[in-house]
Amino acid sequence: MKKLIYPFIAMVLIIGSAFTIFKAQDWKIADTSYVKFDGGDPSGQFGGMKGTISFDPNDLTNSKFDATIDVTTINTGNGMKNTHAKSEKWFDADKYPSIEFASSAITKTADGYEAKGILSMHGIQKEVVIPFTFQDNTFKGSLTVNRLDYNINTEEPNHGASSFKVDISVPVTK
Amino acid sequence: MMASLLTTLAATIYTRIYFFATETDFSKVLGLQRIIGFSLLTCMLTVLVNYGMIRWLKRKGEIIFNFLFSVISFACVMIPISVTLPLSVQFPELFPGLAVPMVFFPAIAWYTLNPLFPRKQQN
Repeated sequence: MKKLIYPFIAMVLIIGSAFTIFKAQDWKIADTSYVKFDGGDPSGQFGGMKGTISFDPNDLTNSKFDATIDVTTINTGNGMKNTHAKSEKWFDADKYPSIEFASSAITKTADGYEAKGILSMHGIQKEVVIPFTFQDNTFKGSLTVNRLDYNINTEEPNHGASSFKVDISVPVTK
Repeated sequence: MMASLLTTLAATIYTRIYFFATETDFSKVLGLQRIIGFSLLTCMLTVLVNYGMIRWLKRKGEIIFNFLFSVISFACVMIPISVTLPLSVQFPELFPGLAVPMVFFPAIAWYTLNPLFPRKQQN
């Protein structure tokens, strides 16, 4: 009987390994994360990023970003502009309280990585590609977003900027 | 000089009261040094303009100066409302509540102290 116990354990381990789910490293998003937007006037940032990040440079297939930012954290540096930005005419924070990004694929590039996924904002979902780097436990990425693509104040396309350079910085901890 | 001292004192007291009331810290954008600089500059400019207008317009100079000083002080309300603060400053919505009353401090100080320094009547 003793002779059979070791082959049995080995067999269980081999069969069990077939059902093992490989999961990339999970990271916790630090409170100091931010999303800056620059359109000249207005410019500012969002804070309060939440979500889950699973990222392993050696296992991009199982890596995934699922992040949300609270629209009410918008800060343009001017109280009046902040109030306008959250109003029905712009982000309509009461109806669309968050901006979400969920990645569908992460690939390696010459300069770093690229996250392809769906950006949901103001009730509109669009596929975007965010080039990013990961150094010193900080994800840094940037992309250009046009507010008109997300139906944000389409009645006034020339009121302030329509195209914004967005810089994302997400410090993380294990 | 007396008016700028009074302005600085009032602004410093009001800043402390506002800090305790709202627990917001705007010292990065409106610290003591800036308050002193702003008070000195405004009051020195006020003295110069007041002196010039009285020399130029005689008795009417004081009346027109007071009117202009009030109008300009009121117009300056737009400065703290429209200013864009650094993004590191939290709750910019509360900044006008701190800075708007302060734009009237030089005028209040001036109108309070000016009668204490009577001039010779000019015709």
